[in-house]
Amino acid sequence: METSLRTDPGFWFMTALGLVLLFLGPLFWDLFQIMQITQYVVLSVYVLSLAYIWGFGGILSFGQAAFFGLGAYTFSVAAINMGETTFPFVLAFAIPAIFGAALGYFMFYGKLSDVYMGVVTMVVTLIFWKLINHTAGPEYAIGDARLGGFNGIPSVPVLNVPGDAQAWLDPGQMFQVFMAILTLLYVLLRILIASDFGRISMGIRENETRAALLGYDVRRHKVIMFALGAGIAGMAGGMWATYQTFIDPNVFSLEMSAKALIWTMAGGVGTLAGPIVAVVLLQYLSLKLGEMHILNNNFILGGIMMVLVLLVPKGGLPTLRDGIAALRVRGSVRRSGTPGKVAPDV
Amino acid sequence: MDYTIIVFLEILRAISWLVILAAGLAIIFGMMKVINFAHGEFLMLGGYITIMSHNAGVPLWISMGVLAPLVVGVFGIIVERLVIRHLYGRIIDSLLATWGLSLLMIGGVTMVFGNTVQGVSTPLGSLSIGAYQVPGYNLLLIGIAVAMMMAIWLVLRFTSAGLIARATMQNPDMAETLGVRTSWVYMATFGLGSAVTGLAGGLLAPLTGVAPSMGVNFVAQSFITVITGGASMIAGTLSAGTLLGTISQGVTFATGPVYGDAALLLAALILLRLLPQGITGRIFRKSL
Amino acid sequence: MSDLRPILTTEKLVMQFGGVTAVDNVDFSLREGELRCLLGPNGAGKSTFFKCLTGQLTPTSGRVRFDGQDITGWETHAIVGMGVGIKTQVPNLFDGLSAYENVRMSARRKHLRPMAKEKAEEMLEKCGIAHLARREVGLLAHGQRQLVELATVLAGEPRLVLLDEPAAGMAGDERDRLADLVLETSRRAAVVVVEHDMAFIRRIAKFTTVFNRGAIFREAMIDEIMSDRAVQEIYLGKQADVAA
Ligand SMILES: Nc1ncnc2c1ncn2[C@@H]1O[C@H](COP(=O)(O)OP(=O)(O)OP(=O)(O)O)[C@@H](O)[C@H]1O
Ligand SMILES: [Mg+2]
Repeated sequence: METSLRTDPGFWFMTALGLVLLFLGPLFWDLFQIMQITQYVVLSVYVLSLAYIWGFGGILSFGQAAFFGLGAYTFSVAAINMGETTFPFVLAFAIPAIFGAALGYFMFYGKLSDVYMGVVTMVVTLIFWKLINHTAGPEYAIGDARLGGFNGIPSVPVLNVPGDAQAWLDPGQMFQVFMAILTLLYVLLRILIASDFGRISMGIRENETRAALLGYDVRRHKVIMFALGAGIAGMAGGMWATYQTFIDPNVFSLEMSAKALIWTMAGGVGTLAGPIVAVVLLQYLSLKLGEMHILNNNFILGGIMMVLVLLVPKGGLPTLRDGIAALRVRGSVRRSGTPGKVAPDV
Repeated sequence: MDYTIIVFLEILRAISWLVILAAGLAIIFGMMKVINFAHGEFLMLGGYITIMSHNAGVPLWISMGVLAPLVVGVFGIIVERLVIRHLYGRIIDSLLATWGLSLLMIGGVTMVFGNTVQGVSTPLGSLSIGAYQVPGYNLLLIGIAVAMMMAIWLVLRFTSAGLIARATMQNPDMAETLGVRTSWVYMATFGLGSAVTGLAGGLLAPLTGVAPSMGVNFVAQSFITVITGGASMIAGTLSAGTLLGTISQGVTFATGPVYGDAALLLAALILLRLLPQGITGRIFRKSL
Repeated sequence: MSDLRPILTTEKLVMQFGGVTAVDNVDFSLREGELRCLLGPNGAGKSTFFKCLTGQLTPTSGRVRFDGQDITGWETHAIVGMGVGIKTQVPNLFDGLSAYENVRMSARRKHLRPMAKEKAEEMLEKCGIAHLARREVGLLAHGQRQLVELATVLAGEPRLVLLDEPAAGMAGDERDRLADLVLETSRRAAVVVVEHDMAFIRRIAKFTTVFNRGAIFREAMIDEIMSDRAVQEIYLGKQADVAA
């Protein structure tokens, strides 16, 4: 149902939280904490790419890692060749978005079913991963950048101030830039979702036939959304590369795609804030579990994924919200809220 | 002349290979319209069982041809009862759940056996054709692919179990009203598909060795074959296998193996743009 | 048969599903501003005919012309963009959205924001469902959903309105309002109505087309149709071949 952005407390809370962290965080955290939190920020940008297209357009991509990896490699290769990072950062958005548009064209204009879409997006990721793994030889180089196969690309440049290639950002500044990007992205996506474009997306998610019968070009709309999601994932990939100053083919791994799905499911499909919270909690959890060296990381991820699908299909935030609502109106009959459907706010 | 035969055999091997890899997946997809995303790990499991039991003294042919399909088949039935059964009609959720299972299995096997490659040597030596050597194992693969397709066809066509399966495939609700327990049919289907995948994994073991994450190397080909084939198990798998096997082998001859998979996907995308339900969605629609 | 030019014509339109010919060689013509009823027993091919007109199905052969343009095989959204609106037999609504949002989504395609809001509210008012504006349509009764869908279709200001069983599931007073609405709409647009409800048909029908087994069986004024023995027989399911 319709919610006005202006009167939505969740929106203002998340925006304020973003700004507070952006300005005050670096004052209180040590270097290690800043690095850790920057990682969460980058992965949050990544998860928004899926939370947006899945939650607000009903487009399920099993291959966000393909765009994430493409963005990471685009940024690294371009930055190494150009000796500065501003334009490469733009490319990290643009190239995956273009690729996403091309792939989306085949899938949506081919009217592929959900299963087929899932398989195709997943296979695309796999093939990138395979191809890039095979580029170890010196003949695989783009300009000055050797792709390095399974060894990856070492010494990816750190982000510099636009226009001054020597002015590198320190970790605190990098955190602030990334936090600003995340906050801005969240605000822009919320505005987009509340806009007419967003309403049409929601309409398409609800009933494609009706959307077409009202005269909206469903396929073109989906391609645009998918490409936008691809661009955002690519940008996150670029951020990841410069944050780590190193990338290898694992950016294209199936785990990376699966993580986006897990975080989105855990946070709740149909929200943006939920998946961000899920990134922080689950990354922290797997860090702690990993330190214990008992359980394998894949094992944990897979377990969480199965539990989510089988037991919490609505996701964390909506389940929590429904739980609170149920407590509040206990005794009286609940009026609205069809099961499985999630109010498109937060 | 000899070279022509070699090329022909290579293409035939590539086709057979796709057919063997995809057959189990195609059985499950054809019946249940579900893609088992843990397919690669079912292969891996078949491989591990083959090598582990062989190392424990079981003859290779027994571990490959009997133990691997048996154990993976039983495992498939367990998975169907515990997971898939709860997700009928929720196709996306079943994809997500089996993907979770895939990660779980990779992690689990890594914890138990460690992240190392183990192997056995390829049996059957080689044959010479003129100046060229052909591994006998390749011929075995071709034979098995043919036998597999024949067996599925015979079962579907001539046995009462096959009749029940076909009825359920055509119209599950109708079959249910005629007294078919579709839930059992699905369980059996999943078990059978898993067993075939287990056999494929067993056949794979001597070629590539086994490692926990080996599945990723084969799922792309399997998935592409099944979705381009469409919903008919035999006609779909055979037509897609033939088309894609030829393409990938052609590309491999031309540019080396790296681009084979990418060429497969590209061909599949173009094909799906033209035939969104796969080859058998439009052509050979009435076939099995 | 007309002095006005036709807004919609089909020529030898055929739609086959495997062995079933659901639409069989239909030559149909509708004048600008005409109100036409389309009758026929279950399975006669009425809904399939509508789907061919709106691009939800691509006809096996034959042509569809709208406003002089050949629109055969066009995409649905493009046909709708030309000015065709359809209420489908199975209600097609955005179930998770409110009635207002549904109608607005349609109005917004032609109008800027403030105007779209006005238009949507006007349409809800006109269809007598202003009090349901904020309700989620997935939770409404069938008859109410029909009215929401009608308002949604009309908010797009189509020049040709196709209504597939609009009165189904409606209570008596709702049905009367619907009849008035259809008559009023036909002053601004051409309308084709498919209905089984004879009381409703009697209130609105003038020139009427009867489908049987995918083909046009009769075309005449409603009184003539009503007293036609052969038409009665096909409705009763008797062998109509002789009469034809
Ligand atoms: N997608 C389809 N695939 C196969 N057959 C179809 C399909 N759609 C319709 N048919 C068949 O076409 C014929 C005409 O169906 P249609 O729905 O157009 O009839 P109708 O006149 O609208 O009937 P009713 O009054 O019951 O709505 C029927 O025999 C139906 O079974
Ligand atoms: Mg009908």
